[in-house]
Amino acid sequence: MHTILLIEDNADRARLVRRILEPHGYRFLPAADGESGLRLAAEEKPDLILLDLGLPDLDGQTVAALIKHSSELVRVPLVAITAWPPHTAEPMAKAYGCDGYISKPISPREFPAQIATYLKRHVSE
Amino acid sequence: MTLDKDSELPAWVEELGVPTALHGQQDGKGLAAFPNTEAAVPVDLVPTSRFTFEELTAAYNQTRVDYIVPMPMNAARLREYVHNYDVDMDASAVAVEGEQILGLVMLGVRSGHTWITRLGVLPVKRRRGAGQILMEHLIAHSRRLKVGYVILEVIKGNLPAYYLFRKLGFNEVRELLVLRRPPGHPARDVAPYTVEALDYHHALALLDQRQSLPSWLDETPSLKNAGSLAALRVELPTGDRGWLVYQNRVFQLSRMVLQTEVGDPHQVALALVHALHARHPAHDTSTENLPADDPHWPALQELGYLESFRRIEMRLDLG
Repeated sequence: MHTILLIEDNADRARLVRRILEPHGYRFLPAADGESGLRLAAEEKPDLILLDLGLPDLDGQTVAALIKHSSELVRVPLVAITAWPPHTAEPMAKAYGCDGYISKPISPREFPAQIATYLKRHVSE
Repeated sequence: MTLDKDSELPAWVEELGVPTALHGQQDGKGLAAFPNTEAAVPVDLVPTSRFTFEELTAAYNQTRVDYIVPMPMNAARLREYVHNYDVDMDASAVAVEGEQILGLVMLGVRSGHTWITRLGVLPVKRRRGAGQILMEHLIAHSRRLKVGYVILEVIKGNLPAYYLFRKLGFNEVRELLVLRRPPGHPARDVAPYTVEALDYHHALALLDQRQSLPSWLDETPSLKNAGSLAALRVELPTGDRGWLVYQNRVFQLSRMVLQTEVGDPHQVALALVHALHARHPAHDTSTENLPADDPHWPALQELGYLESFRRIEMRLDLG
């Protein structure tokens, strides 16, 4: 069973992601801010981290930088979640070491396939 | 998106539900109770000082939940924000309907001018005039303070807010860039330079020599309040020279102010930014409100800075 950590301050969105992912057999871990997300990532070593770029304490880019600075987490696939337009989201996600980004609002229909693709890509590397 | 001062506002601005006139009365305590003529529901304004930071944070975050750049905060960050930017919590206001918070707005107060910030209305309570009521309250307060002008920033693309501000008499001043750079050594070499690292007190002295017009966020009082300032001064063999003041915190560099004293701003900025990241390669960097036409911006781009988004600075003269 793959473990997915979602670092996201919006409780409604976190509930939505849980409802989408759990029926597909994923173990879902929510963190409501950057600090708890980093702590949970270090403790649980998830298979994938989903990171909202707008967080209330450390912002998403700083969290991404810290994850990629950690020797224990640097290889965990990291996917940004953002409402930014592609011309901003893509270079920002790439610059901060993310494996990609998913646009908000997330699509319940497409989301499981997007997650599976990132996990599969990581395994094949 | 640029409108002339006297140009007509689009018709759909009216469709936002912003009332063109207010009919409120002061209750004598600095609070206003305004009947909302469109929604037929009274909106009361209550000073933010009567709420906890936790309550204000929760309300603020809810007002921005649907923004492209929501910039959520926690109570500690909001407290820091109020301190850094000289927000007057008695003048700042929360709009309430019965016991429910509809929205809020904050006012920074400094010598000669005020700054409106954190304006937001809950998505389900928009189009009923609460935003304009909050704005009018702070403009009226600024007039009572006899300041020369009110300044604010709006995220570029937030058209409802932009047109509300235009309707209230604000005019565009300039575009400001919000920038990021991930940690790492400088991506490339630059022309040789000598560098001198300077402490907090020297950084403050350099800010007194600043020639560029700062936004509220990087006015000297903001930087002094934020603390942890340092500076670098560079000189090139050509005689070109300049300085950089910045905030140095545990994970992040921020609040950059660049100044070319002599010579080519591009070469000076390349040397300054190279020196900064050679010195702090593990730090993430975030800097806000660099003017879009700042001559140092191309050098920052060359050394890995990315534009997150833009703000439009707007000003209402009260004189």
